[in-house]
Amino acid sequence: MPATEAKVKTRPGTKAGQASEFTLISKLKPGGAERIRGLLADGFTGERQTNTDRIATVHDLRFVIFDNDTRIIFASTFDGDWESYINDFATILPDEIDLLFHEFEGYPGIHSPEIKDWIVAQQVSAVGFYSAYPDASVREVWKALKAKKALDALLDSVN
Amino acid sequence: MPATDALLLDTSDIQATVLRPRPRPYRGQYVVLRIDEAPEGREMLRRLIPHVAPAEEWWAPTLPGWLGIAFTYQGLKALGVPQSSLDSFPEEFREGMAARATILNDVGINAPANWEYPFGTADMHVALAIYSNDDKSLEFVLERARQTHHDLPAISVVYRLKFSELPDGRNPFGFKDGLHNPHVEGGGSPVQPGSESSIKAGEFILGYPDELGEIATGPEPRELRLNGTFVALRKFHTKVAAFRKYLREQASSSAEEELIAAKMVGRWRSGAPLVLAPEHDNANLGADANRNNNFNYEDDIHGLKCPFSAHIRRVNPRDALKNDLVATNLHHFLRRGTNYGPPLPEGVLEDDGAERGGVFLLIGAHLKRQFEFVQSQWITDGNFISHGTEQDPILGNADGCGVFTIPKHPLRRHLHALPQFVTARGGEYCFMPGLRALKWLASLNDKGEKNAGY
Repeated sequence: MPATEAKVKTRPGTKAGQASEFTLISKLKPGGAERIRGLLADGFTGERQTNTDRIATVHDLRFVIFDNDTRIIFASTFDGDWESYINDFATILPDEIDLLFHEFEGYPGIHSPEIKDWIVAQQVSAVGFYSAYPDASVREVWKALKAKKALDALLDSVN
Repeated sequence: MPATDALLLDTSDIQATVLRPRPRPYRGQYVVLRIDEAPEGREMLRRLIPHVAPAEEWWAPTLPGWLGIAFTYQGLKALGVPQSSLDSFPEEFREGMAARATILNDVGINAPANWEYPFGTADMHVALAIYSNDDKSLEFVLERARQTHHDLPAISVVYRLKFSELPDGRNPFGFKDGLHNPHVEGGGSPVQPGSESSIKAGEFILGYPDELGEIATGPEPRELRLNGTFVALRKFHTKVAAFRKYLREQASSSAEEELIAAKMVGRWRSGAPLVLAPEHDNANLGADANRNNNFNYEDDIHGLKCPFSAHIRRVNPRDALKNDLVATNLHHFLRRGTNYGPPLPEGVLEDDGAERGGVFLLIGAHLKRQFEFVQSQWITDGNFISHGTEQDPILGNADGCGVFTIPKHPLRRHLHALPQFVTARGGEYCFMPGLRALKWLASLNDKGEKNAGY
């Protein structure tokens, strides 16, 4: 049945141009809030920044702890489609993902066959999603910034 | 004759410094006092009040000069203002300018640690601004001021700075200064031709509706705030030789030097605005008060005449940001500037070590959305004009790493490694009360209550 097929392929998340939002809301394991704060105390700097940059499809991401340290929101904006987004994370930074999501209640582990079903169950689609540059991917933004820098250098050298 | 608008403000109560321009020519002195005993502070104030110039007497002052008075938060405290009243002042005033350094981008050379005494310390209590036309008159008014505290040992003078007009009313860089101020609605000042509308009095004076239609409810009590306002005082040192040297390095002719200088300022040395005189200076235009502010940026939306980053286009964007979500009318203040120090002789490109620069009283009812907004968003940043972190070429503090963008066809020009031409020597937030509020302050007793009989 075509309708069922379509339903199976539909993943949560709202699109703006080629960008999608990803919002995951989950309960935390007891004491998880403190441990996540500890893990992220230095923010996305140094090695964590470099590693996350390697995904190259994520515009931004955030972890927000709420409800008296009992629940957490993971929210992100990414390029392309849902499947490869999860695959990218699992391929490039499996250990990092496991480390950060370990405190989410019921998290099965990035290599578990249950992982996608677990994510879908926790994911909530946004009712409103805005992007100032819906057609530009992370790579295009990076490239444009690089081009601007090069153009500035060129213009400076001629006048 | 320019039109004068109806007088709707109580100019017998508002200080002249708030509403009226400095005299021409001008000589004067800033005096900063410290109060160690509240009763002596109030005695000094009682004696001084008859000499404080109200706005209505600007044209025919009682004294041969004009005296303005303002208090820092520490000063109001030293006078014995009750804590409940002190607490009702806005946060930024209570903290003082030095504490706001991060917000104001007063970092690096401009950091409060490098300021002159008593700026940024708790010793700065009362600021007097005394203006006159000549040295003799100035001496007369200064003597009157001295007599108010000469026999009061708990009052000390902690700072003095003489100021005077430079030849032809120029600033130390050689540009005609004091050309523009917003027009205060109901203040009785002449309306100069230009496309800008009058600004509601409540933007500049407490007790009247502002541009949001609101009337200030603080500080308490009403007697203290009515007809008062806030002053951001800034003392700058100008590196005139560095400015001239940089122009010389960047230009291949003296005409080009002048053009680059005008691009940075947005006006030529005469005061002629680039929008009206894009190619050459025009001395007649510069000197004509009916024309030198009669412009906007409607015909210069690409900044080809006046760069987006030019000083005057940044600090007073007129209509330049009308398509952005910016309420320009909430970001005005009155500017009373004076120059100190000797002019650097023409043609000198080496620093002579002399202290020269300007002291500005930036006056408005809302320090946060006026002075602090303009300083942090328009002077020390460039994102609002899509220029990244580029700063004001004159007032920025990029410390030798500054960039200045000159839009041009077919290729824009960037000036690099802009030296810091202006450094902050100090600053403070002050409250400039109305005359009746000064009497209220003088009438407090040691319990912070008002004494009977006032």
